[in-house]
Amino acid sequence: MIKDITIGQYYKADSVLHKCDPRTKLILTIAFIVVIFLCKNFFSLGLMAALTVVSMLISKVPVKMFLKSMKPIIPLVLLTAILNVFYTTGGEVLLSIWKITIRDKAIFTAIFIAIRIFCLIIISSLLTYTTTPTMLTDGIEKLLKPLDFILKPFNFRVHTLAMMMTLALRFIPTLIEEIDKIMNAQKARGADLESGGIIERAKALIPIIIPLFVSSFRRAYELAFAMDCRCYTGGDGRTRMKRMKFSLCDLFVFLSFIIIFAGIVFLNIKFDAVI
Amino acid sequence: MNVLSVRGLTHVYGQGTSSEAVALNNCSFDIEKGELVGIIGHTGSGKSTLIQHFNGLLKPTSGQILLNGKDINESKKSSVESRFKVGLCFQYPEYQLFEETVGRDIAFGPKNMKLDEEEIKKRVLKCIEYVGLDESYLEKSPFDLSGGEKRRVAIAGVMAMEPEILVLDEPTAGLDPQGRDTVFELIRQYREKTGSTVIIVSHSMEDVARLATKALVMNKGEVAMFGTIDEVYSKADELLTMGLNVPQITRIFMELKKEGLPINGNIYTVEQGVNEIIRLKKEGYTL
Ligand SMILES: Nc1ncnc2c1ncn2[C@@H]1O[C@H](COP(=O)(O)OP(=O)(O)O)[C@@H](O)[C@H]1O
Ligand SMILES: [Mg+2]
Repeated sequence: MIKDITIGQYYKADSVLHKCDPRTKLILTIAFIVVIFLCKNFFSLGLMAALTVVSMLISKVPVKMFLKSMKPIIPLVLLTAILNVFYTTGGEVLLSIWKITIRDKAIFTAIFIAIRIFCLIIISSLLTYTTTPTMLTDGIEKLLKPLDFILKPFNFRVHTLAMMMTLALRFIPTLIEEIDKIMNAQKARGADLESGGIIERAKALIPIIIPLFVSSFRRAYELAFAMDCRCYTGGDGRTRMKRMKFSLCDLFVFLSFIIIFAGIVFLNIKFDAVI
Repeated sequence: MNVLSVRGLTHVYGQGTSSEAVALNNCSFDIEKGELVGIIGHTGSGKSTLIQHFNGLLKPTSGQILLNGKDINESKKSSVESRFKVGLCFQYPEYQLFEETVGRDIAFGPKNMKLDEEEIKKRVLKCIEYVGLDESYLEKSPFDLSGGEKRRVAIAGVMAMEPEILVLDEPTAGLDPQGRDTVFELIRQYREKTGSTVIIVSHSMEDVARLATKALVMNKGEVAMFGTIDEVYSKADELLTMGLNVPQITRIFMELKKEGLPINGNIYTVEQGVNEIIRLKKEGYTL
């Protein structure tokens, strides 16, 4: 069903990660992505995987939710792994059939990449599961604030961008609901959305897309008017109801991650690279 | 003869998930051919969920929908056929308009029925007349019309399938009083001209009283009452507990009756009330 799409889905729970400042989580997520690409052997990757699993468990978000977000990626991971098995050179030959030779290094690389992709998915899902879209965009706005210096001559602000993102995220569920309604209304008039070839199916989408566009434009106008009526003039001079604060939770999470990242660097140096 | 029978219909949204919600619970009733049934109920009582079962858009969690005695969910074919036999017009149907011209939008349903050009043209002309607009509208863009006109075009689009049962979900929601009266009048005339069965969902007790031959009251996903207008509206106290108010004018006349005035039947509309007062005055009663 169309309703199962889980973009930026927030899972309400009471955990250390939920309490963290969105900026902490954003910075650490980016740092994590960089560090996992620096991992050169199974020891450092193992530590990253352990960090991922521990973070997942302390977030109090059900593991089922993570599995759901990993499911669509599995074919991609398999494809990457298979390509690697064929195209990696070097290492000992394990098996050789006809023109295909499988080497131990190829197997290692495939496993390595698979683990890396899964860790990346879990960590980025973790960010959206533990942070509401509003908090996330607020965090991005605060982090990118220094860029205003560059954007100012173009009469553009980071705040504008953040507001656009907030609104887009806010309207995803609304639009999904709207698509559902329009689809039902056209089905009630006998629209056939399920059979026929590609061209017929694309044509069958017209009665859904046009009303969707029309109502999106209408909503955009209405929203713009409503914001105008409440004297919205952009980010300059605007204050916040909820101010972001750097708390003890943040300190704890920050320090743990930094210590682990240091450990990764150490393990990378200590053991031989396999990739 | 029963054109539509609902047997033990239960619908659960999101079954097996944490947001499981029982929207309909063991509903059963029969609707006879040619009747105009008003479905009333508080917001969230399951009215929209109920009517989406009539044409197979929603599948029952348990129970059956019989159309002319045949289960519509028996096969995929019978479920698709029911889309044309039961014309369902959703709430705010003007948001389904998409064609360049009004004429082509009305023709969308008949085209999906694979009718020939000649027949489609005939139906479009007939239906634009049913909804009280003239032929000049057929070439206009639906997006240039007023809210009330859009609504009428959308309703014509469902009527053009010539369904055995026409189901309308809150057809007057968001219209001004005049637009509301027009739409109700059109629905009444449509039924007179075609003799088809009509089901109207509304939360206005007044409108249902004015129009319907029978009323079905939904409460928390269950059929709380089903009967003639007089039968249902006489239980004003019970309706009140379901968050439904019988029309003010009805309550005033109920009180007057208790005071001992010889009032004929039940009064549901202001016009009926005025006529009744004039009649009583003529007979020499002082009010
Ligand atoms: N698509 C849906 N998913 C989950 N719950 C729904 C959905 N549609 C309606 N409901 C729930 O079912 C109940 C009945 O809704 P509905 O049939 O729309 O009532 P009504 O039309 O009488 O206002 C409500 O409690 C509503 O929250
Ligand atoms: Mg409804």
